[in-house]
Amino acid sequence: MAYLSMGEAHRRVAEYLHRLSDAVSSQDVNSLNHLFSVSSNSPFLLSFADALNLLQDTNRLVKLADKSSQLGEIPLHLLTCFQNYRLGNLVDSYHAFEKFANAFIQEFRNWESAWALEALYVIAYELRILAERADRELASSGKSPEKLKGAGSFLMKVFGVLAGKGPKRVGALYVTCQLFKIYFKLGTVHLCRSVIRSIETARIFDFEEFPRRDKVTYMYYTGRLEVLNENFSAADRKLSYALEHCNPLRENNIRMILKYLIPVKLSIGILPSDWLLQRHNLVEYRDVVLALRRGDLRLLRQAVQEHEDRFLRSGVYLVLEKLELQVYQRLIKKIYIIQKQKDPSKAHQVKLEVIVKALKWLQLDMDVDEVECIISNLIYKDLIKGYFAHKSKVAVLSKQDPFPKLTYKNAV
Amino acid sequence: MATEDKSQTATEEVKVDLFEDDDEFEEFEINEEWDDKEEGTEGQQWEDDWDDDDVTDDFSLQLKRELESQPDKK
Repeated sequence: MAYLSMGEAHRRVAEYLHRLSDAVSSQDVNSLNHLFSVSSNSPFLLSFADALNLLQDTNRLVKLADKSSQLGEIPLHLLTCFQNYRLGNLVDSYHAFEKFANAFIQEFRNWESAWALEALYVIAYELRILAERADRELASSGKSPEKLKGAGSFLMKVFGVLAGKGPKRVGALYVTCQLFKIYFKLGTVHLCRSVIRSIETARIFDFEEFPRRDKVTYMYYTGRLEVLNENFSAADRKLSYALEHCNPLRENNIRMILKYLIPVKLSIGILPSDWLLQRHNLVEYRDVVLALRRGDLRLLRQAVQEHEDRFLRSGVYLVLEKLELQVYQRLIKKIYIIQKQKDPSKAHQVKLEVIVKALKWLQLDMDVDEVECIISNLIYKDLIKGYFAHKSKVAVLSKQDPFPKLTYKNAV
Repeated sequence: MATEDKSQTATEEVKVDLFEDDDEFEEFEINEEWDDKEEGTEGQQWEDDWDDDDVTDDFSLQLKRELESQPDKK
């Protein structure tokens, strides 16, 4: 740190406090956003934090700049937060920020207009980020990381402040999205439910009224939840919404949406085009798609196994595993068509041993009983229309539409 | 999922590391604006009409050869 005189340090702190009280009295939300963005590490904020650490006694500083008393405890906690943040005391920094946030929402509640809504967004975001960093500090010193969980509880309170009839209600979805990020990170996604219920059923909210950015994020996360719960039709609707409305320049976000939307679409036999996979570098799905096209069970298993880690982590592994039935359907269809070319009158009778043979060719060792079991399953799931001649070990396919198209009803 | 509540406290310590969400959606800027995608400027995204009766691809031809390799024993 370059040499900093006491006088200069005083000047910097006074400047920050002056800007803060100015921003509030003139309702200048952009300045406020900047002043609250602790983790942005902007040069102005860093030099301000250095000054704080030279002067140390924040209490006295705040009193000196008494003009800001209209802001209650806001300045004091903010100063403590910056001071600790700069020193790398991330837990203390988080504590101070939470106190500041608490003081801020007391004021915010009393303001009738929603002029400071964006500043509240910044606070919600910073709270989450600072909590994550504090938890990393706690974990590395062997303590239980609990700040992010605490940030979640705090943001529920913020949600409550916004969930009213007034113009501030459009901010509720932003806070919801921050909560989703916390719950997904902590693996406590069941906590999403109550806030979703509120967003989707409370009369004060009109989904279309929320900012687009929040609607897209909301649909991404609720879509992922639907995938986890195997509600594929709802998952398709939500993730497709997110895909359609996402900023096209946000390549990473589009890719993330597709990581979940593709398995959902595959589950009802809709394939992503090669263009789509290449464009978004989702090559892990390439062989899965090829396996479906071919009816190549071996390739499907290889493809799923090869990226097992990735698929398990994103929670789509089970969805992909279930594609096996579709691949069997496709393989049997091919056998049926090949038979038909040879002898149309007998094509609808598929001997089990023919299927066993085809599987053996794919290096999958299955006996007639196992194949029988699979066919029963295919018939049960409505992937094949027909019946089973148990004695002669033949699957007799319906003459009309023996291989029905999939819908979300039989995808599970 | 309701059962997760009970196990939560016990496993909490490890969770922050284990449950890192790799697919955390990137934050949009607070004032980020964009136009909706224009129709037709993008390539084709999805195919739902691929399940045809064509068996002339390599895989099907090999399958056919395999099935015909020995006459079926009755």
